[in-house]
Amino acid sequence: MTKLRVTLLLFFASPLLAQSPDQTWLLDQSTLTYHMSHPLHEVDGVSHAARGKGICHAGQCDFLIAAPVKSFDSGDSNRDLHMIQTTRGAQYPIVQVRLRIPQSAVNLPTLDCDLEVQFAGQTAHYTHVQFHQTIDGAAHHITGIVPTTLTDFHIDPPTFLTVPIKNDIPIRVDTTWRPS
Amino acid sequence: MRSMGGLSFAPANDRPSLAPTAVIAITTTPPKIRLTINKSAELPIPSPGALMAFASRITLLAAAFAFNLTAPAQQAAQQSAQQQQTELAALPNAPVPIASQPPAQNPTGPSLSDLGLTPADTEGSAKQQALFDRRTHMLKIHQRLGLITVIPVAAACISAIGAPPEHRDYTNTDSRDIHVALGATAVAMYAWTASYAIRAPRVSNEHARGGVKWHKYLIYLHAPGMILTPILGAMAFDQVQSGQKVHGIASAHGAVAAITAASYGAAIVAVSWPIHF
Repeated sequence: MTKLRVTLLLFFASPLLAQSPDQTWLLDQSTLTYHMSHPLHEVDGVSHAARGKGICHAGQCDFLIAAPVKSFDSGDSNRDLHMIQTTRGAQYPIVQVRLRIPQSAVNLPTLDCDLEVQFAGQTAHYTHVQFHQTIDGAAHHITGIVPTTLTDFHIDPPTFLTVPIKNDIPIRVDTTWRPS
Repeated sequence: MRSMGGLSFAPANDRPSLAPTAVIAITTTPPKIRLTINKSAELPIPSPGALMAFASRITLLAAAFAFNLTAPAQQAAQQSAQQQQTELAALPNAPVPIASQPPAQNPTGPSLSDLGLTPADTEGSAKQQALFDRRTHMLKIHQRLGLITVIPVAAACISAIGAPPEHRDYTNTDSRDIHVALGATAVAMYAWTASYAIRAPRVSNEHARGGVKWHKYLIYLHAPGMILTPILGAMAFDQVQSGQKVHGIASAHGAVAAITAASYGAAIVAVSWPIHF
């Protein structure tokens, strides 16, 4: 009976043991900034509310960064509420970014990433997005720009005085990661 | 169920104490593995002994499979797999992943719950979105009507130049009538504009920030002004019609109207500020 139990335990537990991560990363600090352009307006919306985690396993690291859409602050509450409406932020309240990089590239000064961004109920992919990394002790400071556009997420451009905003809404990323 | 990748399994009715109608088939066609479980709606509760016997069989099967003891029966397994693939082809397609489940997501990657986000944080509300849509729709109309209202407001201000009697000639009333008509139109348009802002649903209890804050503060100037201006104007009109010089509180009509028009214009600029040139 005991042998059988041990056999069962080993058999069913072995896949779980095999899937335990080699390394885990946590997002310590973040600043995400979108930039919106209009002939009469230049607006930056900033969020410090992003959360992120990375799990490295079998030589690959999978990262997930998520931020509430409503956490972006452009300095004007009316504009922010209009942004939430335009981006369907009440229905899809989280913007998510997933990426996978080889574990061997985690410490490189330049990270070449393929991103999958979920936003406004749509998923867009961005290939070869370059992020720059500086390492200070355990802190990995990573910066870069994600070249998002309104059309990538099927968002109708808002207008001001009947003139629509520009299609390009680049998101500047400034994050600090630490291994946990 | 006899041929199962070289592994025999007792017919279902040979295991009455466990599950009379339970059939488990394990087929192999390396490197793919398919496990199919069919069970009836009612399963009797197995006895502990039967459960252990069944578990031991599963363990043996798994162990045999793990050590690749099925090689001599690969041909039979392939035939069985082909048969199952034919059966699977007749099945409907699996649901297409929705946007919140990306194709690149894999079981080893982190999930939103790993980030400490609860379903309340991640699940959206179509009803709330509809509220946002309605708010935006009404405020767009408010914006449009507000800009259109600038025309009668400006016209009323300009026509005010000819409204007072010239050289104590109280008989010519055309210019005053035009001014009255333009002023009444401005007030009516203003009320119509304001109604859309007032009736727009509230979607946030946060305090206003930025230009919209000044836009709201200026309401305290132009809203009373839009009420006072026509009242004072009517008083002034009556005094002029009766051949009197405008006097008393009615003489403030022009000043109140100017402050009202200026604060109205400032409210439009405030909500558009800062303007980048």
